[in-house]
Amino acid sequence: MNRPTFFEHLHPPFIPEAQARFRYTLGLGGLSVFFFLVTSVSGALLLFYYSPTAAQANASVQLLQFHVPLGWLVRGVHFWSAQALVVTAALHLLRVALTGGFRSGRRFNWLLGLGLLVVVLALDFTGYGLRWDASIGWALVVGTNLMRLVPLAGETLYRWAVGGSALGEATVLRLFGWHVFGLMLPAFAVLIWHLFRVRRDGGIAHPAGPQGVGDSRLPRARLVQREVMAMLLAGALLLTLTAAAAPALTGPFDPSSPIAEARAPWFFLSLQELLRLGDPLWMGVFVPLVALALVALLPYGIDRGLILGRWLPRDGRVGQALVLTIAVGACLLAVRGALR
Amino acid sequence: MMASPRPLLLATLALTVSVVLVARRESTPPHAGFASDTPVVLVPSLTGQPEYCLTCHSGIEEISAAHPTEAFGCVRCHGGQPLALDAETAHAGLLGGRNPSDFDVVEEGCGGTECHSGPADEGLDQIHRSLVSMQSTYAGAIAAVREAFGSQSDAEAHFSIFAVSDPEITSPTGLPSLEGFSPQVASEPPAVQAFAERCLTCHLRAEAVDQAGFQRLTGCAACHAVSNWQGTYDGGDPTLPRDEAGHAETHRLTTSIPYSQCNACHNRGNYSLVEMEFQARTDLPSDGTASRLAAYYQPIAQFTACEEELDCIDCHSAGEVMGDGDLHRQMSEVRDVQCRTCHGTAAEGPTTRQITDASDTALRQARLNPHATLELGDTVVTTERGETLWNVTLQSEGSLELMGKVSGTIYGVPPVAGSGCEQNPDEQESSACHECHAVERP
Repeated sequence: MNRPTFFEHLHPPFIPEAQARFRYTLGLGGLSVFFFLVTSVSGALLLFYYSPTAAQANASVQLLQFHVPLGWLVRGVHFWSAQALVVTAALHLLRVALTGGFRSGRRFNWLLGLGLLVVVLALDFTGYGLRWDASIGWALVVGTNLMRLVPLAGETLYRWAVGGSALGEATVLRLFGWHVFGLMLPAFAVLIWHLFRVRRDGGIAHPAGPQGVGDSRLPRARLVQREVMAMLLAGALLLTLTAAAAPALTGPFDPSSPIAEARAPWFFLSLQELLRLGDPLWMGVFVPLVALALVALLPYGIDRGLILGRWLPRDGRVGQALVLTIAVGACLLAVRGALR
Repeated sequence: MMASPRPLLLATLALTVSVVLVARRESTPPHAGFASDTPVVLVPSLTGQPEYCLTCHSGIEEISAAHPTEAFGCVRCHGGQPLALDAETAHAGLLGGRNPSDFDVVEEGCGGTECHSGPADEGLDQIHRSLVSMQSTYAGAIAAVREAFGSQSDAEAHFSIFAVSDPEITSPTGLPSLEGFSPQVASEPPAVQAFAERCLTCHLRAEAVDQAGFQRLTGCAACHAVSNWQGTYDGGDPTLPRDEAGHAETHRLTTSIPYSQCNACHNRGNYSLVEMEFQARTDLPSDGTASRLAAYYQPIAQFTACEEELDCIDCHSAGEVMGDGDLHRQMSEVRDVQCRTCHGTAAEGPTTRQITDASDTALRQARLNPHATLELGDTVVTTERGETLWNVTLQSEGSLELMGKVSGTIYGVPPVAGSGCEQNPDEQESSACHECHAVERP
C-alpha cells in the first residue's frame, strides 16, 4: 500500500464539485500559493546578485537589470509575481469573508490567513525599499516613521526596522534581513500551516452534511489538471507583464537628502491618503490597526452565522458589510491617491 | 476520467506566446534602436567606474580637448546612471538636464578644487567669477531701473538676480554681497515689477528667449557651447533630435567664442523703459544671414575698422566678460580694455610683459586655442588691471600682432605714437578715439 506523500498531505484528494467551481473560489488561494512560490524562487535567484549595502544596492540592481543575462527577466518576474500575490491574497481574504469560509471551526485558520496577508504586505514593502532608488524615499520615510508612533513600542519597532535611530547606511541591510529571512521564514511556515489547517478543518468550506459522492466530487487528478492550467495561465501573465514593463528604477537613494515628492507604491496609496486626512497617529496607526482588528475578530463574535459553501450567505450580513466597507474604503482611498 | 484536454492546450499556448514575448524583449533591449547588440563600455581614468552611455550616444563629439573622453567620460560632469541601458533609468539624476553647467548645478557639474572651483590666483575659480559677474547678477540694470522709478535714491547696487555674496574682495569697487531680487519684486512699483517679469531674460541663469537668433544654453555653456541660429543640434549623436531648438550645435565647449554667440544676447535690440519690454531689431533679416557688420552694430553705433572685423573676445578679456571675482555695481567697474591697451597713446606704447614661467596662465589659455602659437619667452600685452592679452604679442622687430582667437587671422596693430594723432592727452578713452576713427556703415 502506498503511503501518502508530503504533497498529498497538503493537497486534498478530492473536493466537492460545487465548491471546486471557479466562480466559487476564483482560484485565488491556489494562485496565491503559485505566486508565493514564484516570488520565492525568483527572489532566491536575485540573492546571487543583490548587494545589501547603501553604496552598492542600487548599482547591483542596475547591474542585474541591464547586464546580467536574463537578469531583467528574473527581476521582472519577482516584481510582478509579488504584486500579483498581494492582489490575489487580498482578494482571497475577501472571498473567504464573503462566503463565510471562516465559520464552523475554521476561525483559527482565518487568523493565520490574515497574518499571512500582513506578512506579504510587509514583504512587498521591504522589497520596494530594497530597490534603494530615489523613488522609494517618501514611502520608506513615512512607513518607518509610522512605526515610531506606535504607543510604547514605537521606538524599538523603528530601530528593529531601519537598523538605527534614523534611515542610513544600516537600513539596506536591515530591510534585506527582514525581507529574505525575518519575514520569509514565518511566511513559509505559516503558509504551510495555513494549507495544513484547510485540510485538518475538513477541506474547502462546504455545506454541512455528507460531502458529495460520485460525479459531485472532483478527484485529485482533475484538480491537479485544473491547477496546472491555472499555473500556465498565471505564468503566461507574469512573463507577458515582465516583457511589457520593467519595474521602475532610478538612481541611488540618498537618505540624507530631502525627499522631493510624496510618491508611494500602489499598495501604500490608501495609507498615504489616510495620512492626508488627519493626525498621523490616528490615521496612520490606529485606523489601520482597528480595521485589522475588526477583520481578525470577524469569527470571534461579530459573525455568528452557520451557512457554508456559498457566496453572501444570508446569516452573515454584518460581517459582509464590515469587510466590504473596509475593502471598498481602502480601494477608494487608493484610487483617490492614484488620481492626484 | 479525464476532462477535455483543450483548455490545457490553450493555456500552454498562452504560455508559449508569453515566452516568445520574453525572447523578443531579450533580443531587442531598450538600447537596440541606437546601438549594436553589445553595450559599449568606457572606464574613464578619472573615475575608474565603468560607463555605458556611449552605447546609445555613439558618435557624440568629445566635449573638448581639455576634457578628453577617456579621462572624464560622461558621468563626472553630467551625473546620471552609468550602468543603465534604458534612457529613463540612465538619465535619472542628470545634472541640469542636458546642461551640467547650468548655475543651479554648476558646482556639482563643473566644480571641485581640481576643476573649476580652484585657486583664484591661478585663474581656476571660473565658477565663482561667473556667479558673481555682471552677466549673472544683472546688478547694474536692476539698480538703474529701480533708481529711475523711484525705488532707490541712488545708483548703488543692492540686488542681484539671485542672492550672492563674495567673501574675498580684491578690487576697489567690490561689494560684499547682494540680495536676491525676486523676494523684493512684490513691493516694487508696477514699472519695476514689469521690468522683473519681462526684461530679465538675458542673465546667465535665464533660459534663452525661445526664438531663432536668441539661442543659447544657460550657465557656462551660454557662452562656451556654441548654438546656431535655430538652436538645433547638428552633431553625431544619433539620440538627439535634429529639429528641436534649445541645443548647442555640437557637443563641444570652446574658448574660441565667435561673435555670433555673444549676439544671442547682445546687439539684438533694446529694452524700452516706456513699454518695459524688449524690442528686437527690425533692421536685420530674420534668417540669420545678416552680415557681421550689420549684426554687430545697431545703426546708430559708432565703431572703428578693427572692431568690425575682430570677434568680441579678441579684445574683451576673460576678466571683463567672466568677471574679476568681485561683485560690482555696473559694467564700467569691470571695463578694462580700451583702444590704448594695444595701440598705446601718442606719449607711450602699450604695457607688455614677457612670459618666463611655463605654468603662466597666459600659456594655459593659449593652449586651449587651436590657432595659438604662444611660447615661453614671448612678450604679450597687458591691460591696465594687469590681465594678459595673450593673443597680442610683441614681434622681434618691435611691432605688435593680434591673432584672431576664432579665425586665427593675424592682424598688425598700428601704434598711435608717431601716427600724428592730435588727441588731447587727457581724453584717451575709446569713445574719444571714435570721434575721428569711426567708419561709416556702407
